[in-house]
Amino acid sequence: MSGAQPVILGEMPSLSKLYVNAAATAARRRVLGTHAGTQLPGCSHEVRGVTAGVANLTAYQHLIGETASDVLPAGFLHALAFPLSMSVMNRDDFPLPLLGMIHLTNKVVQSAPVLFSEALDIRAWAENLRGHRAGTQLDLVAEVRGAGEDFVRWRGVSTYLAKGVFLPGIDKPSAAAASDGFRAPNPTALWQLGVDTGRAYASVSGDFNPIHLSVLSAKALGMRRSIAHGMYLASRALADVGAAKGDAFSWDVAFEAPVFLPARVALDISTVQGDDGAWLRSDYVAWSPHSGRKHFSGSVASLK
Amino acid sequence: MPENGTSATGPKDTTARAAGSAAAPQLRKAVVVGGNRIPFARTGGAYTKSSNQDMLTAALDGLIARFGLQDERIGEVAAGAVLKHSRDFNLTREAVLGSALSAETPAYDLQQACATGLETVLGLANKIKLGQIDSAIAGGVDSASDAPIAVSEGLREILLDLNRAKTLPQRLQVLSRLRPKDLAPDAPNTGEPRTGLSMGEHQALTTAQWKITREAQDELAYNSHRNLAAAYDAGFFDELLTPYRGLSKDSNLRPDTTLEKLAGLKPVFGKNLGAEATMTAGNSTPLTDGASTVLLASEDWADAHDLPKLATVLDGEAAAVDFVHGKDGLLMAPAFAVPRLLARHGLGFEDIDFFEIHEAFAGTVLSTLAAWEDEEFCRTRLGLDGALGSVDRAKLNVNGSSLAAGHPFAATGGRIVASLAKMLHAKGQVDGRPARGLISICAAGGQGVVAILEAH
Repeated sequence: MSGAQPVILGEMPSLSKLYVNAAATAARRRVLGTHAGTQLPGCSHEVRGVTAGVANLTAYQHLIGETASDVLPAGFLHALAFPLSMSVMNRDDFPLPLLGMIHLTNKVVQSAPVLFSEALDIRAWAENLRGHRAGTQLDLVAEVRGAGEDFVRWRGVSTYLAKGVFLPGIDKPSAAAASDGFRAPNPTALWQLGVDTGRAYASVSGDFNPIHLSVLSAKALGMRRSIAHGMYLASRALADVGAAKGDAFSWDVAFEAPVFLPARVALDISTVQGDDGAWLRSDYVAWSPHSGRKHFSGSVASLK
Repeated sequence: MPENGTSATGPKDTTARAAGSAAAPQLRKAVVVGGNRIPFARTGGAYTKSSNQDMLTAALDGLIARFGLQDERIGEVAAGAVLKHSRDFNLTREAVLGSALSAETPAYDLQQACATGLETVLGLANKIKLGQIDSAIAGGVDSASDAPIAVSEGLREILLDLNRAKTLPQRLQVLSRLRPKDLAPDAPNTGEPRTGLSMGEHQALTTAQWKITREAQDELAYNSHRNLAAAYDAGFFDELLTPYRGLSKDSNLRPDTTLEKLAGLKPVFGKNLGAEATMTAGNSTPLTDGASTVLLASEDWADAHDLPKLATVLDGEAAAVDFVHGKDGLLMAPAFAVPRLLARHGLGFEDIDFFEIHEAFAGTVLSTLAAWEDEEFCRTRLGLDGALGSVDRAKLNVNGSSLAAGHPFAATGGRIVASLAKMLHAKGQVDGRPARGLISICAAGGQGVVAILEAH
């Protein structure tokens, strides 16, 4: 897939224009009843020589709870590549409606650190269109390399669900996933998320999706209140794991119940060590101390 | 006695041996001459309008009056406050300048959360032992009433940017970023920065982990009040305390409290943690205002000034635990520091006559005692052959501790050191050796500082 014909964009696309365009496309498709077929776009999008703004990086690091070092946090790289992934989903030949897509899981492999001063080549594409009991899902893959390099230093796979969209020719798995009978452990952390949490993350990540910004804008899209960005939550959990993860690690998260703002979120991080005491993995799970419902879970693991 | 780095230094006087240094010079002794504190007041009470500097100066002036230190140039004064405004960067030096001490007395601030007071004692005692100074005053102060309040991060950034802006349009542009929410103040809280859990919630997890019962916690709180009240009745604090702002006793003290009253209080911490909530306002320390000071000296300086030598500061030890992801409880570091300190001196619990274990929460004291009695914990975590042992409850906090007296964070160490020195001096010799006391203080950030004092 990554070998698919790349479309080189001159600059990183603007997320706000992409959202406006997505809304227009959704309206057009609704009025005209057209859709874009059942195939994912065969090309990838690429931007070369991307650099991170240091002021934005610092604001991101402070918000997430990372030390403001010169290394780009794995979640920051996700935010850096996100407009490119969005531009793939915004293509006219993309078969699913972009707005209202649900982020199910995210898997990142950070193979080597990326410094803020480095120019980066970023590529994104969609793959693995498949059924889901509640609709259709697919993977958005993004890769980050140093400018002109072959080695992939950061690779993210975001799995999205277009709920209620069933494309012809794609089977849906019939059985619903069994509930795992989650029982909240003792927390190791408690987050107080204010009503402005979504706006704060939007301003450092550039992701101004209306469902995160305010009660009104979220209601306009059918949510009862605004919800926290999934990647904000996962990035805070990653920061909470701390320095043990080193420079090379994998970072997975699976999202469950959304976090409606404002909220208190309880988190447990448990460390798995090898026989020699070396850090192998930190597993995390977050839930609502109010309802006991699981919000998300995942792990950060050593690549060694 | 477990192996440690000092065993290779040969048969030297353990009281004067620098750990890890084969060529340590013979150190002289640092003695506690005495102490002075102001009564501790519950927050919002008698000291509501008194600043940290006011209270520290009051405690200092009481000490100066008690030991005739007017115009004396003390070797060094060290004190600190946990809740400190940035304008109080030289809090201790300012208090010295406002006191009757010679204005040529140097001073520095120190901050190690609730261990601040004890750490000032240990640091200054070490300087005396090394011969760098001959006299010192250690202390601490805290006000939860007069706590500093910061502006929001948003307003702070705007104000700093405004200061950097050079032209009017630039200033207007910066000001245009101001939003109503930026005007909300940012008050200090007791939450741990890395976990967001309050100290009480952290302790509630530890209390449940060590299966400490509500009854045991209430009993410890009851004993603290009973012991402190008895100490006041016996005049124990007459030489340790100077009245301030109309208080002559700690205002949190409830001499008439009963186990029934304590049992009637509702739990306040750990209500959402799964296990039964057992921590109440009665068996947790309240927010408190107060200050304490301790006069330390070399033996020669004390003799030359015709001052008492109550106790020697034998040694101290700091420890920290990895609490962030729950490997150990936030306030359990003393459980690790005490066995290391005892081992360095070849001592066991049977060699200790007074245990002063700071009562941050009754659950903290009882969890620590339970850990030392737990064979598994002592073997796997402390590296001992078996359980460290049981603390004789008749020797524990015999004149009351923080549950009754209150706990103005940085002032607690000075309160305990001065009281223990007096107790040791009164006890004198035990079985042909000087009476010994162990101090254990837990602190935020998963830290703990402990010390051993001996009767002089």
